[in-house]
Amino acid sequence: MHIPDSFLSPTICILMYIVSAIFLFWSWRKAKATYPKSFAPLLAVSSALIFAAQMINFPIIGGTSGHLVGGTFLAIVLGPYAAILSMTIVLGMQALFFADGGIFTFGANVFNMAIIGGLSFFLVKYLGKEPKSGGRFFSSIFIASWLSIVLGALACALQIGFSPMFAESGGIMVTVPAMLFWHVIIGLGEAVITTGLVSQMYRLQPAILNGLTILRGEKR
Amino acid sequence: MKEYLKAIVIIIICLAVLLPLASTEPDGLEKVAETFNVEEHEPAWGGLMPDYTIPSISNSYLSTLLAGILGFLIVLGIAFVLGKTITKRNS
Repeated sequence: MHIPDSFLSPTICILMYIVSAIFLFWSWRKAKATYPKSFAPLLAVSSALIFAAQMINFPIIGGTSGHLVGGTFLAIVLGPYAAILSMTIVLGMQALFFADGGIFTFGANVFNMAIIGGLSFFLVKYLGKEPKSGGRFFSSIFIASWLSIVLGALACALQIGFSPMFAESGGIMVTVPAMLFWHVIIGLGEAVITTGLVSQMYRLQPAILNGLTILRGEKR
Repeated sequence: MKEYLKAIVIIIICLAVLLPLASTEPDGLEKVAETFNVEEHEPAWGGLMPDYTIPSISNSYLSTLLAGILGFLIVLGIAFVLGKTITKRNS
């Protein structure tokens, strides 16, 4: 879902830079007030894990592939604020070193993957609320991670649909259904991998799920 | 700290094992662009390791694996610095 530079008009690039900057500022402020000193290694390892995971594309139908984005995973492990910052680092390094996602489209990519992914935390929190049962918690992760991909794809479809490159083909009237079609399926892969990863971590190292601790803390 | 080092080693091993299995088909957005005949232009910035390869290494598996490990370590480092920065005044 990484948008390359040539796909978006300058106006949309600038607009998305502004929107993302506001969310990043908010996350930065919230993160500074939230996390303990011991947090840095967990942030580092989970960000790097998501970078590596994004390199592994899985095939879906019709000669198309998808890969884990990991926004919901980071949100569960790190909480929403650090998840947004963490994914922004991953996307930034991908654009800078690997030309995966453009430089001008960076704001849009941050919005579609980092911000929507990080905010999916609140859906998990809402759906998985007490009485806390394992089943309910994991289904809420499944739904939130699936939705984070579908909503990210919708945002991406609107951004490319309103840009001149896709105008000839019909703009948003064609980009929205096409993006949603593929990402409804890719999102299932995201949901399966995210739920699997979190349940494994929950089994091995329950204490590591800091996002959950925050989730509990904010509930009071 | 020890469990984090363990996790790093496990992740790199998983990457090395899974990379050859990764699909090279276009992703959702690339597929949509293909469907509507929108071509990706040369990017404004090509990156130092374009498409997760190190241009000077000819073996494509090693080239991508090494680019992946480098990227992994860069993200690890930057995220660690970010973590230290945001928690500087916290206990």
